[in-house]
Amino acid sequence: MHVPDGFLSPQTYVPAYALAAGAWAYAARTLQRRLDETLLPRLAVLCALGFVLMSVMLPLPGGTSVHASGIGILAVVFGPWITFAAVSLVLLLQALVFGAGGITVLPVNALAMGLGGSAAACLGYRLLGRVDERAGLFAAGWLATVLPAVLVAGVLGVQPAIAHTADGQPLFFPFGLSVTLPAVVVPHLILGVGEGLLTILVVSFLRRR
Amino acid sequence: MRDRLLLIGYAAAVIAATSVHDPRWLAAGLVLALLAAGRDAPRLLRRTLLAMLAFSAVVSVGYVVAGLLAGNLNPEYLIRINIRVCLLTFLTSLLVARVDFLRALNFWPAASYLATLILSQVVTFRRLFDELRQAADSRRLRRLPLREGYAQSAGAVVHLFDKAERTAGEIALAMRSRGFFAPAGPDARRH
Repeated sequence: MHVPDGFLSPQTYVPAYALAAGAWAYAARTLQRRLDETLLPRLAVLCALGFVLMSVMLPLPGGTSVHASGIGILAVVFGPWITFAAVSLVLLLQALVFGAGGITVLPVNALAMGLGGSAAACLGYRLLGRVDERAGLFAAGWLATVLPAVLVAGVLGVQPAIAHTADGQPLFFPFGLSVTLPAVVVPHLILGVGEGLLTILVVSFLRRR
Repeated sequence: MRDRLLLIGYAAAVIAATSVHDPRWLAAGLVLALLAAGRDAPRLLRRTLLAMLAFSAVVSVGYVVAGLLAGNLNPEYLIRINIRVCLLTFLTSLLVARVDFLRALNFWPAASYLATLILSQVVTFRRLFDELRQAADSRRLRRLPLREGYAQSAGAVVHLFDKAERTAGEIALAMRSRGFFAPAGPDARRH
């Protein structure tokens, strides 16, 4: 659900960068503490898979897109902070190499997808995984898809209210929450089912190895 | 130093492009960026338009429809947002063409190694994924039912992870043999 460059106001992306900078610093320390011979290569190939899945995008009427992410899988295997670092790096590479997403929207995308999505995935997995492993994995994939969609829809939907001309015309993203929430979140409720199934399949496969 | 200056200039240009709201100033910025790109301008502009087309078209059409229905359509908004998105995307394309991204990550070695590994694996994964899709397409005469389509996709993903697991092990061995990881103990030092 990348937000393209140019649709978020400085009032949004400047504070988002400040917030993300602190989170990136903490994630970098966590990554260096756990750096060993297996983590880096495993993280790289999982990021590459997420990158390939994220490259397939479908525009939505609300001005954004849907795609698979693999964030639930990364979060269950590596935890939220390393996933946040990896997803941030993938988003940066996507913006700079493929022109998907952008620099001004990077912190919002990273916080929503990388931190919000992975934290929700880990929480869902820990709560439901105690009862049933597969239910926990499904919840991880579903939440990693739906929560970022809600966050991104919220950020987009407040743009007309926080950045507009004197006569009320929008300066950045033009649609309010009444449009962005259904346009972005509803498709992701369905996409999350596919992501949940993919998470069950892939993590179960990885655990058998 | 050159890469650092370009990054600072890019950041300043991005902040300016999102702080200025007069379409004439945004258009002037786009012309300046095109001039700065020199002979690369047509190629970068084509890449920019392809990258922004889908999203800008969806937002613009949605805005026109909503504006017509509500009776408050403002053409200046459409001009402003499309020039702004074009300028920002073009600036990113120009930055990518002028700055070596992996060299720019030199200040953080772990991220630099990770980015290198990810990019190499992306190439491998995309090629493998395309080959799997083409192989499946060549073996059927009509579109698969939804359930079989999902099964096929799941099989492809499992195959990708199977390869990923093997590749991760090979990369770890290659990195160890090149001294990326510190020796673990006396045995490691002897080798």
